[in-house]
Amino acid sequence: QSQVVKGTVSSSTDGEALPGVTVLLKGSTTGTVTDLDGNFSLNLKEDVSDPILVFSFIGYVSQEISVGSRSVLDVSLEEDVTALEEVVVVGYGVQQKKLVTGATGQVKGDKLTALSTTDALSAMQGQVAGVNISSTSGQPGEGLKINIRGVGTIHNTGPLYIVDGVQTGDISYLNNSDIASIDVLKDAASAAIYGSQAANGVVLITTKTGSAGKAQWTFDSYYGIQQPTRQISMLDAQEYATIMNEAAINSGNLPYFTQDSIAQMGAGTDWVDQMIYDNAVMQNYALGVSGGSEKSTYSMSAGYTGQEGIVGGPDVSDYERFSFRLNSEHKFWNDVVTVGQHLTFSYMKKNGISVGNQYNNSFRGAFGVSPFLPMYDDAGNYLNNTANAGVMYQGQEWQPWNPGENNPYASMMLNNQNDNRNQKALGDFYVQIEPVKGLKLRSRFAYDYYAEQRRSYRPVYDLSIYAFRTNDEATQNMSQGLALTLDNTLSYDMEFGDHSLTALVGTYMWVNKGLWMSTSNADLTVSDLEHAYINNATNTDLTRLNYQGAPNNDQKLQSYFGRLSYDFRDKYLLNATLRADGSSKFSEDNRWGYFPSVSAGWVLSKESFWDGIGNTVSFFKLRASWGQVGNQNIDDFQYLSPVVINKSNYYFGSAGYDASGNAVGAYVSRLSNNNIKWETSEQIDVGFDAYLIDGKMEINFDYYQKNTYDWLVDAPGFATEGADAPVINGGNVLNEGYELALSYNDRVGDDFNYWISAVGSYNQNEVTEVPTDDGIVHGLKNMLFDNSPEFYRRAESGYPIGYFWGQETLGVFQTEEEVLSHTSATESGTVVIQPDAKPGDLKFVDRNGDGIINDADKTMIGDPNPDFTFSLSLGFDYKGFDFSVLGYGVAGNQIVQSYRNHNAYANYTKATLGRWHGEGTSNSIPRVTQTNENLRIVSDYYIQDGDFFRINNLTLGYDFKNLIQTENIGKLRIYATVQNAFTFTKYDGMDPEIGYGVENGSSGIDLGFYPRARTYMLGLNMNF
Amino acid sequence: CSDFLDTEPITQLTDGNYYSSPEDMETALVGCYSGLQLLYSSGGVAVPVAAEVMSDNCFGGVAHSDGFNYQVIDEFSLDVSPGEVNIFDANWVAFYKVIYRTNVLLSKIDDIDWTGNEAQRNSIESQARFIRAYCYFDMARLWERVPLLTEPTTGYVPQSDAVDIYSQITEDLLFAAENGSETVTAGRITKWAAKAYLARVYLFYSGYYGETELPGNNGNVNAALALQGLEDVIASGSYDLVSDFKNLWPAASTMPNEAGDGLETTYAGKDNIETVFSIKYNITSIYGDSERDPDGNHWLVMLGLREQSFSPYGRGWGACTVLPSLYNAYADGDTRRDASIIAISQEGLDFDNSNQREYTGYTNKKYTPISNPDGSDPAVANGGTDFQIGQYQDYVAVRYADVLLMAAELGAATAQDYLDAVRTRAGLTSVPATENNIRRERRLEFAFEGIRYWDLLRYGIDEAANAVNVSMTVQNGGEDATKTISGDNLRATRGLQMIPQNQITRVDGKYDQNAGWQ
Repeated sequence: QSQVVKGTVSSSTDGEALPGVTVLLKGSTTGTVTDLDGNFSLNLKEDVSDPILVFSFIGYVSQEISVGSRSVLDVSLEEDVTALEEVVVVGYGVQQKKLVTGATGQVKGDKLTALSTTDALSAMQGQVAGVNISSTSGQPGEGLKINIRGVGTIHNTGPLYIVDGVQTGDISYLNNSDIASIDVLKDAASAAIYGSQAANGVVLITTKTGSAGKAQWTFDSYYGIQQPTRQISMLDAQEYATIMNEAAINSGNLPYFTQDSIAQMGAGTDWVDQMIYDNAVMQNYALGVSGGSEKSTYSMSAGYTGQEGIVGGPDVSDYERFSFRLNSEHKFWNDVVTVGQHLTFSYMKKNGISVGNQYNNSFRGAFGVSPFLPMYDDAGNYLNNTANAGVMYQGQEWQPWNPGENNPYASMMLNNQNDNRNQKALGDFYVQIEPVKGLKLRSRFAYDYYAEQRRSYRPVYDLSIYAFRTNDEATQNMSQGLALTLDNTLSYDMEFGDHSLTALVGTYMWVNKGLWMSTSNADLTVSDLEHAYINNATNTDLTRLNYQGAPNNDQKLQSYFGRLSYDFRDKYLLNATLRADGSSKFSEDNRWGYFPSVSAGWVLSKESFWDGIGNTVSFFKLRASWGQVGNQNIDDFQYLSPVVINKSNYYFGSAGYDASGNAVGAYVSRLSNNNIKWETSEQIDVGFDAYLIDGKMEINFDYYQKNTYDWLVDAPGFATEGADAPVINGGNVLNEGYELALSYNDRVGDDFNYWISAVGSYNQNEVTEVPTDDGIVHGLKNMLFDNSPEFYRRAESGYPIGYFWGQETLGVFQTEEEVLSHTSATESGTVVIQPDAKPGDLKFVDRNGDGIINDADKTMIGDPNPDFTFSLSLGFDYKGFDFSVLGYGVAGNQIVQSYRNHNAYANYTKATLGRWHGEGTSNSIPRVTQTNENLRIVSDYYIQDGDFFRINNLTLGYDFKNLIQTENIGKLRIYATVQNAFTFTKYDGMDPEIGYGVENGSSGIDLGFYPRARTYMLGLNMNF
Repeated sequence: CSDFLDTEPITQLTDGNYYSSPEDMETALVGCYSGLQLLYSSGGVAVPVAAEVMSDNCFGGVAHSDGFNYQVIDEFSLDVSPGEVNIFDANWVAFYKVIYRTNVLLSKIDDIDWTGNEAQRNSIESQARFIRAYCYFDMARLWERVPLLTEPTTGYVPQSDAVDIYSQITEDLLFAAENGSETVTAGRITKWAAKAYLARVYLFYSGYYGETELPGNNGNVNAALALQGLEDVIASGSYDLVSDFKNLWPAASTMPNEAGDGLETTYAGKDNIETVFSIKYNITSIYGDSERDPDGNHWLVMLGLREQSFSPYGRGWGACTVLPSLYNAYADGDTRRDASIIAISQEGLDFDNSNQREYTGYTNKKYTPISNPDGSDPAVANGGTDFQIGQYQDYVAVRYADVLLMAAELGAATAQDYLDAVRTRAGLTSVPATENNIRRERRLEFAFEGIRYWDLLRYGIDEAANAVNVSMTVQNGGEDATKTISGDNLRATRGLQMIPQNQITRVDGKYDQNAGWQ
């Protein structure tokens, strides 16, 4: 009995046919080799009961396939990616990983897709050493804070994003399924080719492109349910009443409630619970196809992603994205001319509650309002907490306990009725001419277009004497902008003997223009969000009518750049770049800046002396680099003195009030400074890349020192100058650290593959100089709670950026004697430091020993910048099953937490039950009082350690392709994932990952943080 | 190709392309006026409010659970709250913002061609210089030695001596008194306002420093010249007394209508015949832009009844509780008592004082928000953003009654007539125009108008110290408590307030802190 088996062997990477693949009948000498089209035909003469064919080809993973009764066997071989042969994306080109001399990190698109996040940056967290990503809010669609190698500026720390060579400000418009890879340029030498915009690092995103061969279809989807991980518990009504009584007594007043009346109270309203929306949905569907011929390739996709918010639910907190992508490339005239394009169009709907500072934070309301306030009145309306307003509750007229408070849920639902729709189209058209091999002239025209429409509706409501609206309001905003890029590069690859050299020169022009308008008016004909359009507003009173419109200031860049890459036998490597940037941000005299870099590598494992070690360490490369890059991320026209014309009205009329009668005034609001220029970041980097144990283990290590100087600082001027101070250059911050990435993958037996990888980075941040007179860039006041003093310093010499500043405490006074014995020896004798303190009050450290507690005693009580960030991931696959787990954590940082504005009646967290209420009852939580004297002082009482380790992702999948043996399906994987599965932390807030800061340079501030959800999801990946 | 990078702001003017025409200068002048709103509405404590707290008219008050900044002002001591070292910081900043605006205008005014418009030029300069003098006079009284700048200046500027500051105030007011407009236009500074203000400056300076002339202008601004200015104001015929005292004040002249669905008022209105100079407000303030757009009277709400409204009285934050001694100082039949003071229980108000500090049973009626019968705020009901910033009652800095009483005090030939005119309006009979009688009259006439305290200081530190010295029972949060103010603290500080610590830190300690506040 003989059997003829025919088939085609192709590459799984690009679908291209593979010629020269050896096909061997296992356990015999019978075999053949595929032809130029990848076809083979093999006659299985021997009578083998269960014939198995072995397909092997250099550079590909060998595969054994049981023939069974089949006569046609199409096989796709997976590339054996010895990582060394991988290419990584660098500025204006690609480079073989083994030749890279800078510090870069790469994450492949499939790894991002596997994490099932709505945006790529979330999936990037913990993947690349030194890239620190934290959420500024758990609200869907909200931005992430990203810094690379520490905070280097008190301005925006976000990196420059380059998508397929086009610079843009935000990459949340991309579906993870569209991304082929993300490369991060961490050191200055790698980033310097992007010049004045690269000081915060550069993130290069490459979207998927097609390759010649059979069409490859992919379908990725997931559907999940989100739930809060843990909730803050506030005092319930009985506990609250008890604490209010105690505060009254401690403040020398009579208690409010009798024990009997407390005993009859229920639990009251749990406002945090009311705000949380359970089972919010998160879902994603992405369909793509790619393929092409030798002359023409394509890749296209359509995707939908939706995520509902867990605070307030989808009515007020929701994100949806529709994305479309088409990339193609075509070759003409014997491949001398290549023409191609990229285009991604995304439509995003995003509604959200306020997640800003304490005055713009819908969730914070849930923490302060007393549990006595009910949600609804007898008529089923949100209860109006106004005295004598005729509101009926449980059959009686409602009289407020605290007239100053109002229903925070109602406030959130009523005041966040928005409809935002953004569109973004980003892409390019390029032509490449290669007249002789190695010489490439490439020109590209690229665009980054956005259009944004925003509507909001505010109803009439009455929640309290402070929370009301007398007229409804509709607002319509629109804005749009277009950034155009024109760049040209000329590159030449040459080899002579053992030397190879690539030279690249280029020019770059970029212009960004836009405009916006906004109108709002009142008294709608039909009062709801659906009808909230200006044409439905009937009001003619000028005070309720608002209209504005203006162009954005033009932003322009013009640049010239060049790069030389040289290597000798892949052993000695050298790279040098220079970019000259001209920017419209600066005055004519200071427009141009020059950004040089040089980096070198030495592949020791290619030296003869390495032979002995080579068996263990097969590859070892030492790298070193130096470079300078810039940051010009400041507002426009900071070098000019603006005359403010519309913010200085005066009313000369005699009417009681007259909204339209103001005369317009003008004044100079800021002093000019013609000399400002960009911030410069200078960085050295030393590191190595190594492969051990037959390439199964990879180690990357880096040490860096990043010095960012000439910050653009709004240095406070002297008050006597009378106008805002000009932006000046000055200041210096040093980031120094180590990064280590380890990965190991291996196989046990034939079927069990496993991998483990660990990424860690250590960074120390220290400001070394501040140009202001007092050496401090101050933080804002009134931000931690009402009337709170300054509690963080944006920058001060000798301290990390954004450190927390306040009083140190030594616990709580237990007795009157302890108050009297807390003394300082001053020139005028021994002084009791806190003579007015009572037992139960916080005991402050008189750091300067002058016997008084004041600002001079304040010091660093916390640092929001983590010392360590680390991640650990591991996984395995076995006969179609796959399992992976990814953990991420930070250590060495602190969080400042304040959920409460300190009036007499604000609710407390349950932690307050552990307060001091008698000797020995607590040494950490002070007594409660009506006047909150312990809480009005910012001290380390507010600070907690922010260390955490979280299981970001747990996934178990099974590829049903193993069950249904069909040739048409390459993959049919169904998986279950838990995101944000467990968090190990001592932090007692809802979420320890708090990237939020009230202004640039500050972070780790928990004012009532919109927590990130835990998500349970099921997903499907199909290739066919 | 460098042109490619050229851009210019399209909707933003710059100092390079502005200040080039008389129209620009008029707009810049409006910017200076707008700064007057900034002085008292951009944070800190409004100086007229602080002056009442410092005087023997009012305690600090505010909420039982509030910070103690008003008490620090009231008691001339940090003892009550050592951390309150920056109470007037925002005021300090605001004063210099306004001074900068006037200095920019004055430094640019002669860059343009005024041929044929000289009177306009002089009127603009007069108004700008008056505003600058107004700022320096507030600052010199509050802190005494402040840096003096008469042109835009960058970098550190040392403190100036009082004599130099008053010299500049004198020069500025004299210029405005000579070159200002004679025509009274609502809201605008006239030469009459400058003459009246010069007399006020003269009286304060001569009293507080014991001099007979103001410095500046070769020392020829003496009592006679100050009096002559007041007589000019009177002779101009541009001003008169409003016939019924209560009609000067919205809350005193307004009440719910019979139907109970609105208010009816006999208020004489803004810019009535008695207004010589006022800082004007409107309902158009916007939150979030409050520093730059403080159109509203942001400080009025401080003075309202704590969190409760009793139409026509609106709610507020309960600052400046009134001493019973002031209420009792009014003679029977003096119509000014009930027009000036809300006597809470006598008026039958069911006021809950459990969140009030230093409750005395009395609060002021001249500067207090009003409220509709349904409890809504008239400013908000008419389009204001919020009752806290939308209040629209002007601050009348100089009234004609003050012109009369100052003239009487400076020894006018018709001093008796002037005093009688003021007393007659109040429903009182004549008393001799003696110094003591005029002083007593001033306290009753100008209570809560930010005048009393500066009068006390110019009568002498001891007089002021004795006047504010008090120890009495008040209620804090509804409980009895003793409120004590030691006159010695006023002596130790010479009645000045603390220079904001931030400002001293800002210049590396190069400013001297005032005595009693170190």
